[in-house]
Amino acid sequence: MAHRESRAKQGSPPPRIMVVDDQAPRAAILQQALSDAGCEVVACLASAQGLMKKVMEHQPDVIIIDIESPDRDMLEHMTVLNQHNPKPVIMFSDEDDPATIEKAVRAGVSAYVVDGLNPARVKSIMDVAVARFREFQALRGELEKTKNQLADRRLLDEAKALLMKQKNMSEEEAYHAMRKMAMDRGQRMVDVAKNIISVMNLLNG
Amino acid sequence: MTDSDPLEKSSLILGYMPLSDSLPLLVADAQGYFAAEGLNVELQQEVSWANIRDKVLVGHLDGAQMLAPMLLATHLGLGGLKKAMMAPFAFGLNGNAFTISRSLGQQLEEQASGQSPSGDAIASGKALKKLVQSRRSRGESPLIFATVYPYSIHNLLLRDWLAASGVDPDQDVILVVLPPSQMVDHLSLSHIDGFCAGAPWNSVAIQQEVGECLLTGPDLWHSAPDKVLGLTQEWANTHPNTTQALIRALDKATLWLDDHREAAGALLADAIQIPVAAALPALVGEFVYRPGESQQQQPDMLVFHRSLANYPWQEHGVWFLQQMQRWGWVSSALDCEETIRECYRSDLYQQALQRPALVAEGTRLALDHRDPWQLDGVAMAPTAFSYHR
Repeated sequence: MAHRESRAKQGSPPPRIMVVDDQAPRAAILQQALSDAGCEVVACLASAQGLMKKVMEHQPDVIIIDIESPDRDMLEHMTVLNQHNPKPVIMFSDEDDPATIEKAVRAGVSAYVVDGLNPARVKSIMDVAVARFREFQALRGELEKTKNQLADRRLLDEAKALLMKQKNMSEEEAYHAMRKMAMDRGQRMVDVAKNIISVMNLLNG
Repeated sequence: MTDSDPLEKSSLILGYMPLSDSLPLLVADAQGYFAAEGLNVELQQEVSWANIRDKVLVGHLDGAQMLAPMLLATHLGLGGLKKAMMAPFAFGLNGNAFTISRSLGQQLEEQASGQSPSGDAIASGKALKKLVQSRRSRGESPLIFATVYPYSIHNLLLRDWLAASGVDPDQDVILVVLPPSQMVDHLSLSHIDGFCAGAPWNSVAIQQEVGECLLTGPDLWHSAPDKVLGLTQEWANTHPNTTQALIRALDKATLWLDDHREAAGALLADAIQIPVAAALPALVGEFVYRPGESQQQQPDMLVFHRSLANYPWQEHGVWFLQQMQRWGWVSSALDCEETIRECYRSDLYQQALQRPALVAEGTRLALDHRDPWQLDGVAMAPTAFSYHR
């Protein structure tokens, strides 16, 4: 508290932000962007487990949370507990700004804001969060693609290993056999690999 | 639908939570009642009540299954977001239960001289009060109970019963909020000592032998209101015919539900990914309180249509607001009756169903009937609170 008071004397202390997000990459992007925007990210939680304790401990001005988190109702409960909680939170301090709320919902971000924080400041924080959540939506599309490619790769390796073990082929022979099957049947390599795995497992089941 | 009242919008997205009383929506969809009204409805399952509220407010959902007290809190702007809301249709009565850990069940039984107080709200309250006092004198931490949302029948009814039992809900116990679908896990991990949530989560806990039911909803308040069709007033005012069509479709769904409990169980189990066996007890009214015990008949465990269960009674809304005033969440200066007249639109319900002769507009619902009774020729279940004498 002494720390906060001394900064407060200098004029405007950076808003203290708590991020609750189970998507570690997104949380990292957001944390960086908020720091760049002059905020202090006081905590980054992967889940709302022990959330109330963490809020009392870190005294955030703003809590940013994935809109699809089932833990949001827990957070909303704190708005009712104001006589016990030193930091009552409210949902989006700027209630007369439906456009901000709409943008936030679309981007998948929600925020709980301590009463009394400058609305303009809240809006700029929300803008940062919304932009990063949007960016992550696009990024996630890319990640999905990469993940699928990795999964395909694993299937190819597994099929190849089965051929090598059960047909006594070298790695190169196995690879060529699979490529030939794919070309002959007009199938994708990954589909050939899936066939091989299911057939081999059936034979050896 | 006639040519004179065309739908303002035919493709709708409606939100719901994974609970038994989302069934009016699921059934209206599966049985083609929406389609029969010319509605093409997409149902969207949500993960939190906060999400449902936000998406209805910004129009990403046209309407949703909502906790009636949450709808009122939103109408009044509690917690920040404020928008004029309304409920023209209630999804039914009851469905909730208060389930506790096996260990707490054991302790309450000891406080009640070896006789389990489950099913008896007064005896349970006495045992709990004694236990709370004895835990405090031994320096043990307060019991932790979870409900699903601060502005919910679950929280308000639990608090009212605790207070009536001499247990201060703010000082003597710790009340927390958890999503319904996480209750069983938190109970099994001993994070909480009990929870009040809707079906089917109580039966899931009991069947997994993680918990036992202390009191069902009807054990506390025989015909308790809960979820409603939540719409913004703006949406309902700009879509009057669509609102009427929704009410008609949902009314057919609840009528169907009263007579097709087993089929409804299968539909629910599929929609929310739980075993059919867990969906059935509350639906068929054969409820097991404690693992290993025999079934007890609880015909009013979940009422969808009979007893005028879909009528948005002003008295229900007023009770919610008065409770919220009592705990200091709503200004004591608020005119509860006036607010409820704005939000609980029994006139739209009557208009949609063309049954004005059934219950005259302005009919009051007395909340002190201890026995089944008749209202203008309609068989009604009791309406009283068991623990208020």
